[in-house]
Amino acid sequence: MAAVRGWVVAGLVGCLALALAYLPPRGARGSRSSDDGFFIGQSPSGTPARQRAQALADEWRTADGSLDLLTARRRLQLLAQTAIASGRSLVVVSESAGVAAATPPVADSAARLAWQQLGLKETKVSVALIIQRMSVSSRGDRPVPEEQTAAYLAPDSTDRTTCIAVVSVGRWWTRIFTGDLRGRVPFDALVQTLKAGLGPCAFYAAYGTPGKSVRGWLVTRGWDLALTLDAGPRGRYYSSVIEMADPRPRWYWDAVYALPPTAVACLASRPDGCRAAVLAGASDNPAISSPDIMRVDRRWGRIPRLIEGQRFLGDVARAVGRDRFLTFWTSAQPVDTALAAALKRPVGEWTADWERAFVPPIRLGPTPPLGGMAIALAIAALALAIVAGSASRRQVR
Amino acid sequence: MRGVLALLGLVAIPIPAMGQQRRWEHQVQDRLQRAIAAVGTASRLPVVQRSGMLNTDEVASFQTTLTQGTSYAIVGVCDDDCSRLQLTLVKPGGSEIAKERNSESLPALHFTPQATLSYGIRVVMEGCHWNPCWYAVAVIPLGKKAT
Repeated sequence: MAAVRGWVVAGLVGCLALALAYLPPRGARGSRSSDDGFFIGQSPSGTPARQRAQALADEWRTADGSLDLLTARRRLQLLAQTAIASGRSLVVVSESAGVAAATPPVADSAARLAWQQLGLKETKVSVALIIQRMSVSSRGDRPVPEEQTAAYLAPDSTDRTTCIAVVSVGRWWTRIFTGDLRGRVPFDALVQTLKAGLGPCAFYAAYGTPGKSVRGWLVTRGWDLALTLDAGPRGRYYSSVIEMADPRPRWYWDAVYALPPTAVACLASRPDGCRAAVLAGASDNPAISSPDIMRVDRRWGRIPRLIEGQRFLGDVARAVGRDRFLTFWTSAQPVDTALAAALKRPVGEWTADWERAFVPPIRLGPTPPLGGMAIALAIAALALAIVAGSASRRQVR
Repeated sequence: MRGVLALLGLVAIPIPAMGQQRRWEHQVQDRLQRAIAAVGTASRLPVVQRSGMLNTDEVASFQTTLTQGTSYAIVGVCDDDCSRLQLTLVKPGGSEIAKERNSESLPALHFTPQATLSYGIRVVMEGCHWNPCWYAVAVIPLGKKAT
């Protein structure tokens, strides 16, 4: 009997080792999935020539956007000074195809309401907001501008007290502004769009220029943790399908595994993963280029470093209060030390709790498919029965 | 020392907000004028003033000619968000003559040059709670020192 027990233990250990080696992680798609239908979804990747053309177009857009910002810097200087002299910290202008256009009154009102709703009044850093309308007639000699993108010029690259935000409002808003679309203007939606559009400039206005370590950290990350100063109540807007779905469909897990490993670990409420996701890019000697141009892609479907990361620092500021946040924001200490001091908790633990408010913690680890597990157990039971039967027959009485 | 104490008393007086975005700039200019008035000058030489804004740990420098045998008070002021401002007087060769970093947001130096030279004044924003912080510096000639 002792010999049989040994074989059973060895068998179980072997099974465990095989399971660890071969079982897929939870939600992972196998080589053949029952969910795959006759038609298989595939994103168009384009030919190498097309990919090259798209890469060139992106480079052109980047260079053109930088040129726009630097031109605007000169153009807006006088306008900003006039506004400052009259006690305003926000200047709103509009342009189309690089040419200054009259700012639609509704856009101007929405921008001022957005400013007010963000709690911004008298600020040390003022903001010049350029609402970039889509050109109605596209020119064939240059790439079409991307919608849902924004660019910002940091105050240190202007007169040190003006942050410039260029927000591309897209075709739909352009048609509303030009009067092509009749009907009631969704004013609240416009306010939300411009509130989000103020992006890093809203942080500059609210908290001034960050200290060297915080600024270097944010520049390295593309300001992804400070894109929305006040994103509103949690659960009102979603930035990822992961927040909207329950974890049963396979595409949910596809979206999860498209994230960086640290973001996945943070979704599983693992403090180490959350800490790594938040502090990525923090270094002792950050490099900040000049002019300091920040580009932000707000398109739906982009892969974030942390789910809802765009509101992370806004939520930190609300949680810890203005004074503690300012101490962190201007701190000369390394980012992890300064942030932990402001939060009065380890960064990973605070972030894991914060992330749980958006997405219920997921379970990670290997999971056997239900059918495969049933068959394996049946085979194991059969094998044990055969072994036990043959052992009892060989027994000498 | 009496001058410094008088200055410390002055900054404790609340200054009304200017109602404009650049109230910090007005704030430091106002403080500087009061500091100059508090120190007083018996010299015909002009008071040199410089102002600007700095983020935490940033440095600004300027040159000014100081006349032999004249006593000078060099006073710095900064806005409400500034917690520590450092003033350093530097010889033309670059070596430091005097440094004031103990008066937090109101540093002051006293100096009587032995030769008429162009001296450097370095301002370091050591602590600013809300960047940038405005500062202003005045080089006030106090008059000829009795020999």
